[in-house]
Amino acid sequence: MAFIKLNDLEIEVEDGTNIVEAARENGIEVPHYCYHAGLSRPANCRMCLVEPYGPIPGAPPGTIGPARQLATGCTLTVRSAPPERKLEEKYDAIVRTDSSRVIKAREDILEFLLVHHPLDCPVCDQAGECDLQDFSYRHGHDKSRYIEVKNVPPKKDLGPDILLYSTRCIVCTRCIRFCDEVSGSGELGLINRGSHDEIDIPRSHEGTPIQLLDNKLAGNVVDICPVGALISKDFLFKSRPWFMEKADSICSGCSVGCNVTVEYKADGVYRIKPRFHEDINQHWMCDDGRLGYHYVNSDDRLQLPLKKVDGELVTTQWADALTLITENLSEVDAADIVVIGSAQGTNEDNYVLQQFAHDVLKTTQLGLFGQLPGEEHKFPQFTIEADKNPNTAGARTILGSANGNVVLEGDALWEKVASAKVVYIVSGVPERVLEDAERDALEKVDFLIVQDVLPSAVTELADVVLPGTTFAEKDGTFTNSTGWVQRIRKTIDPPGEAQVDWQITQQLAKQLGGEIDYHFAGEIAIAIAENVAGYGDATHQNIGDAGIKLD
Amino acid sequence: MVQERRILYEHLDVPNINTFDVFRQYEGYTRFEKAIAEYQPEEIADMVKESGLKGRGGAGFSTGEKWSFVPRDIEPRYLCCNADESEPGTFSNRYVLEKNPHLLIEGILICCYAMGIETTYVYIRGEFTLGKKMLDAAIKEAYEQGYLGENVRDTGLNINIYSHPGAGAYICGEETGLIESLEGKRGQPRNKPPFPAVQGVFMKPTVVQNVETLCNLPFIVGNGVEWYTQMGPTYGDTRFDPPKADPNTGTKLYCISGDVNEPGVYELELGLTSTELIEVAGGLRGEEVKAVIPGGSSAPILTHYELDTRLDFTSLTLAKSMLGSGGIIVMNETRNIVDCLLNIMKFYAHESCGQCTPCRWGTPWVRDIVQRIADGEGRQTTITRPKFGVTESGRWGDTGETEEIYEDLDLLENVANNIANVDTMTWNTICVFGIAVSWPAVSYMRKFKPEFEAAIREGKLVTLPVAEATVPPEENYAYQQRFIPKEFADL
Repeated sequence: MAFIKLNDLEIEVEDGTNIVEAARENGIEVPHYCYHAGLSRPANCRMCLVEPYGPIPGAPPGTIGPARQLATGCTLTVRSAPPERKLEEKYDAIVRTDSSRVIKAREDILEFLLVHHPLDCPVCDQAGECDLQDFSYRHGHDKSRYIEVKNVPPKKDLGPDILLYSTRCIVCTRCIRFCDEVSGSGELGLINRGSHDEIDIPRSHEGTPIQLLDNKLAGNVVDICPVGALISKDFLFKSRPWFMEKADSICSGCSVGCNVTVEYKADGVYRIKPRFHEDINQHWMCDDGRLGYHYVNSDDRLQLPLKKVDGELVTTQWADALTLITENLSEVDAADIVVIGSAQGTNEDNYVLQQFAHDVLKTTQLGLFGQLPGEEHKFPQFTIEADKNPNTAGARTILGSANGNVVLEGDALWEKVASAKVVYIVSGVPERVLEDAERDALEKVDFLIVQDVLPSAVTELADVVLPGTTFAEKDGTFTNSTGWVQRIRKTIDPPGEAQVDWQITQQLAKQLGGEIDYHFAGEIAIAIAENVAGYGDATHQNIGDAGIKLD
Repeated sequence: MVQERRILYEHLDVPNINTFDVFRQYEGYTRFEKAIAEYQPEEIADMVKESGLKGRGGAGFSTGEKWSFVPRDIEPRYLCCNADESEPGTFSNRYVLEKNPHLLIEGILICCYAMGIETTYVYIRGEFTLGKKMLDAAIKEAYEQGYLGENVRDTGLNINIYSHPGAGAYICGEETGLIESLEGKRGQPRNKPPFPAVQGVFMKPTVVQNVETLCNLPFIVGNGVEWYTQMGPTYGDTRFDPPKADPNTGTKLYCISGDVNEPGVYELELGLTSTELIEVAGGLRGEEVKAVIPGGSSAPILTHYELDTRLDFTSLTLAKSMLGSGGIIVMNETRNIVDCLLNIMKFYAHESCGQCTPCRWGTPWVRDIVQRIADGEGRQTTITRPKFGVTESGRWGDTGETEEIYEDLDLLENVANNIANVDTMTWNTICVFGIAVSWPAVSYMRKFKPEFEAAIREGKLVTLPVAEATVPPEENYAYQQRFIPKEFADL
């Protein structure tokens, strides 16, 4: 640990911490643009200048004074010094971020940053969450002395989801370093020189792109752009950031379990941004997850229960659908019933489902359903996993947690389904296509109950369809492939009369005389913690924002 | 009349000196042989330190001291020869490369021996096609003669030289910009520390030396430290001399251009004044000297009142200018200083690498302001600001009075100082390109303020007579603000 004096604070920080981070931990803002904790540090924006103190050359020993040159806070790291090099006999470093020189330097740099900036905040997507705007307001001048002609570099289409408004760019090179260091794909670079520096993709002499910015992590460059230069086409002109609510959640795109922030308004989810988690996704997420939320807002969402009449699915009332299911379930043997949980559902959904199967239906034949595997993508500092479900590990453990429960997957499951009379399948898998074996098996079922969010190949075969909910509409927990249990949170209300999946299961249980009576997801998590091996600490309270790792 | 003192250039005009055989006839490689026969590597390094040799590339940093920063326990170490001579007004290295490349190779060999270096990169300015051709031929010959390669002259030393052409960027003359470019990256200087002596080429300890500096080594080794230190100024007879001699030893290749009758490279002992130098170069072309740029276009300008400043590293630092690369540009009474500044600012705005904020957007801004003044579009509005001058204590400072100044001149000075502050010598930029921009901008404006004011007032470029165009010595910040650096204070 290094003991440093930062302004008038005496603080202890880890060895190797830079001044920007040390200040941030202690509530002091050191404005910066090019520095990003997840990237290398070129110190080119010169915004984080601070004033280090040290021995004055030529002065008597022990005399401490400000260094002649200011230093960049991002590259100025502190570490424990040997006793003879301590300042004032106890500090490993003395740094001021509030001296008149530092304040003037910030003003000067901000003036330079704004000379070519178009000041088009009223039409800029970034306004409201823009570092240039915020730092100018807090540290800059109130007017510009620049009366010369401004540079107007062109707006560029860099890739499927990325636009570059070059006029707003401050050439901090975060995006270039991201593509070099994290995605390793290196699509971006600087062209021209000096004040004509522009970010660009490789192009032919005619200007046609040779390589688009289309890697699966490309969306992150929009997040790390400190100004409104890199813009996501998906979010372009959709909403002002301050009109959106935010909720911490987990990406449901694959089993990595990236920490995300879901930004939403009453009418739907607007965008998903990554949230820092040191052990799982660091600062990043992939574009599959980032842009994969659209099905939540889809107009096709199931809003009412459906039942099959003369081969056609028609809408019905909840009471009718539940009665129909109860009738069919009470007539068959427990051995002829298969209950299938979902790797897209939360641990809570699956826990209530297995309780329903084990305690009410008295069947131990359970299955696990989920999205078909996709491709694995490995990047230098990031991996997208092949398992496209967020909760395979959790669902598998929890479905199989009760005595004698068997969780069937793959061919074994479909063999069992083919011979069953009633199958209750909680899907919630958007755009699920069926393989031939799966279709054949499901077609043989006498009475198929499907709980889903969107019409799909699975719902087509169903006798009754119950409208469930997506990750954005419920509370709960996911367990990722490395054993992290993390919370998702309800953002928007489910469409129409759709209901949270465990509540639907609970109603079915009640209709059949079961005694399952939970009121909120946290209550189920407590039950999981009590009854499922390994989940002893996994209550919502313990999980919090950081998640917990199972042993 | 001052005589040339040819050391590096002594045999420059000998026919075919670029070939090994002819070079050998003129003591070629004997200094290197003497070095390996008579001295240990540490002794060579000590000799260089004692000789007081200062880097000839621009900063004037002591070569021996620079070598002492290189950690000896990290392998490999590199030598990087900076032959990217791109400072406007400087053209001395190219003659060494084109005419006497073996001298450079001998210098490199001595440096490699002293520092235990096996690999040398010579980064040659891209435009020096002839220079590169001659050097490559000389390197080839040296390999054939066994002075390069494995087991040099049966001494067990392995020394290799690779020449690498630049792509024509001024900033690649900055040592870390050069290293980045050499590594195949965009030529942008690195943030320091770490300095190249610790982490340079491929992040290994690297000695970066100018061609001229390396060419001095054979003569230091061959003729001894005592002989070398005798060359240089004897202080005490002009107003700008430091209190005691800071080592300014040896000769310098002064590149004299501008309004002189015989422009060219002159090898002279350090410490001559501008007046003497103009005499050596065939006298002034024109009636009177208006100004002299002492060290390449980035050096602050000297007025005709300051012509008795010695052109050596220390004296020019005390005169708030610098010797830099030794590119002396002389201007006579017909030159318009606003126009000169515009020319220089166009160059710097074009050459700014664009990496860090103040330089990327400050440099073109300064150019635009000067362009506006030169076009006669300077704003007539004035502002009132504190007046700096000689205070009651006799030092330069805030006089407590105020002055009226054209808004554009205040802006020009202020923007330049925000890139790199000329008065406090602090900069917000990554490299010293920032100060290379603000030095001319601020010094030209302050020292030739009447000409700038005339351009704004009249709405066009007006060339004033020398006496009227120059601010008098009592208002000249550099003339009056001569500070005595700490290292001289108690001598």
